[in-house]
Amino acid sequence: MTDAFVQQPPLDSISQVRYSPTNPHQLLASAWDATVRLYEGTAQKAKFDHRAAVLSCCFGDATNAYSGGLDCTVRHLGLDTEKTTNIGTHDDSISSLVWSKDKSWCHALITGSWDQSIRFWDARAPTAHQLTEKVPERVYFMDNVNNTLVVAMASRLIRIYDERNMSKPQYERESSLKYLTRSLACMADGQGYAMASTEGRIAVEYFDPSPAVQEKKYAFKCHRQTIEGVDHVWPVNALAFHPIHNTFSSAGSDGQVSVWDHKVKKRLKQYPKYESPVSSMAFNCDGTSLAVATSYTWDEGEEGARRSKPPAIALKQLGDEMKVRRL
Amino acid sequence: MAKKKGKKNVIQPWCWYCEREFEDEKVLMQHQKAKHFKCGMCPRRLNTAGGLAVHIQQVHKLEPDNLPRIDNALPGRDGYEVEIFGMEGIPAPDVADYKRRKEIEFGLAAGSISQPQPKRQKTDNKPMTEGDLRAALEAHKALMGANKIDRPTSGSPATSGAVTGAPQTYAASPNPGMPGTPAAPTPMPGAPPFWPPPPGIAGAPPFPMVPGMPFPPPPPGMVLPPGMPLPPPGMFGAPLPPGGFPPPFATPPPNFVPPMGQVPFPPPSGSVTPATPASAVPTPSPSVPPVAQVQRQPTLPNPSLAQTLPAFKKETDLKWKDPNFSPEEHRALHPKYFTSSSTDGSAQGEVPRGKKRAHAGDFI
Repeated sequence: MTDAFVQQPPLDSISQVRYSPTNPHQLLASAWDATVRLYEGTAQKAKFDHRAAVLSCCFGDATNAYSGGLDCTVRHLGLDTEKTTNIGTHDDSISSLVWSKDKSWCHALITGSWDQSIRFWDARAPTAHQLTEKVPERVYFMDNVNNTLVVAMASRLIRIYDERNMSKPQYERESSLKYLTRSLACMADGQGYAMASTEGRIAVEYFDPSPAVQEKKYAFKCHRQTIEGVDHVWPVNALAFHPIHNTFSSAGSDGQVSVWDHKVKKRLKQYPKYESPVSSMAFNCDGTSLAVATSYTWDEGEEGARRSKPPAIALKQLGDEMKVRRL
Repeated sequence: MAKKKGKKNVIQPWCWYCEREFEDEKVLMQHQKAKHFKCGMCPRRLNTAGGLAVHIQQVHKLEPDNLPRIDNALPGRDGYEVEIFGMEGIPAPDVADYKRRKEIEFGLAAGSISQPQPKRQKTDNKPMTEGDLRAALEAHKALMGANKIDRPTSGSPATSGAVTGAPQTYAASPNPGMPGTPAAPTPMPGAPPFWPPPPGIAGAPPFPMVPGMPFPPPPPGMVLPPGMPLPPPGMFGAPLPPGGFPPPFATPPPNFVPPMGQVPFPPPSGSVTPATPASAVPTPSPSVPPVAQVQRQPTLPNPSLAQTLPAFKKETDLKWKDPNFSPEEHRALHPKYFTSSSTDGSAQGEVPRGKKRAHAGDFI
């Protein structure tokens, strides 16, 4: 099936795409052109201008979203009012935002920054800032499932927190991959997470510290190609778990998007290659669509930017390819 | 007519419905009548979408909800809500979007079309909008970059034009005897090369301000426009406030470690591809123009955690070779994206983490 492409994609590289938690057609995209755009289907519904490049965005609920980026400011985006409100700040660029799904502790936004801290916010409270947790390195990526928050940092550090008790990390781990962490995603069933590095490799890990479960963790190579005897190895920029089938897709700077069944360690599908690197990827809430953001990811610095193709967001309608195939 | 100045970077009249370009607005209107405002049920052609809607309702007795979409239009632009007549009536966001896309197509700096000259001169005494300021800053940065390579020549007409706009963002110079006005950015004939070094630092490189020099931070209004010759030393009491110039003065944070490029990694044994030795790794590209040499390098907050690239067993072309910083961190320091981390509405005098002074963006 051919992809649909959104009209009016961002004008510079897309840092993150996120689907609405309730509406399978609403997509949020943050970008280096200092905008966050809201799409309904392929049409642009709203655009939020920022002071500087936006590195991350996330939905709170159907009408509230949040963003953060190089200007170190956490912003609330009213999706129906099209208004932005500053909630607070970090001391350095904000690299990642997640929304705590815990119902008992409602309206909690979690932000991670290169200032080596994670902060918690309640947008409705008079002072939004609730809590700061210092971490040993710059936060690169965060994802959460149930009450578990996984934080991937520079220097290959990983911390796993229980969101209800942030006083100390539940587990502190070092990445099993030897290179810079490049992406992270939690399993839909809450058992573990997958992470990937700049050296075309994905690790599948589990939360449960018991040796029997930890034995199941593994890593595998992908997003590489041997050309004339030389291994070309691309960073794996995006990982996303399917909300229903719990399989996951990976995408890299090579422009490839693959679908994996991590239980049986098999690749289910590889899509036709995109001409640009894939910078971010997201499934919608009912698992019928996969948004693939293709844009330059600065792998070759400024020079590569001149050669790069304009950014695009492809919306893949999914059939059965994400479904586990068991005999 | 179409080939003005032999250059193509002029926005021609274009059709909002299909984004086609035309030589002039007359042709555009003919096109819209023929392609978009033609009634599907009779040969009649109308002047506007509203006219077509009324025609279909009254002549062909269709319900307003049942109107056919406008023919040949891009998705999302096939409705009757927007009243377009030639170039008139195009929603402002679409105009801005179109211009920015054109800029990218022509390979021009952001704002060179969307902030045209005459418009900027009109805004003379009004506060500039954030967008204007950003465009002016962008142009300013580009010019500063260009100047570093070839200082005495003041750039192409396009860039010097951008400079004429830039000074207007700042308060007027306190000194009436300043040579040059915002309208005369070019150096005086026979003037010495720019930036005579302040007394005491004779022979210093073009940017002699060393981090930590005891100059007071400049008042926000005192920033010098980039194209102006420097006033004689001593004119301001303190020579040349460091705040007036963009990126080069990154004051290192307290826990400063030397830029990555100067600390060669212990090359991993049997290392990466011969073409890319490990010491070349951290700088994004080896053949960068001089601007990039003064570009910031990220610093490690926690040097004890520094990583090195493990060796490969076979010949490998690793696409991202920095083991300590992500592509985004490098990108964030590039002049195109670099922002002062001072946040909205706060902190003009504040220097967060000691690295953000000396950036015109601080004074916006």
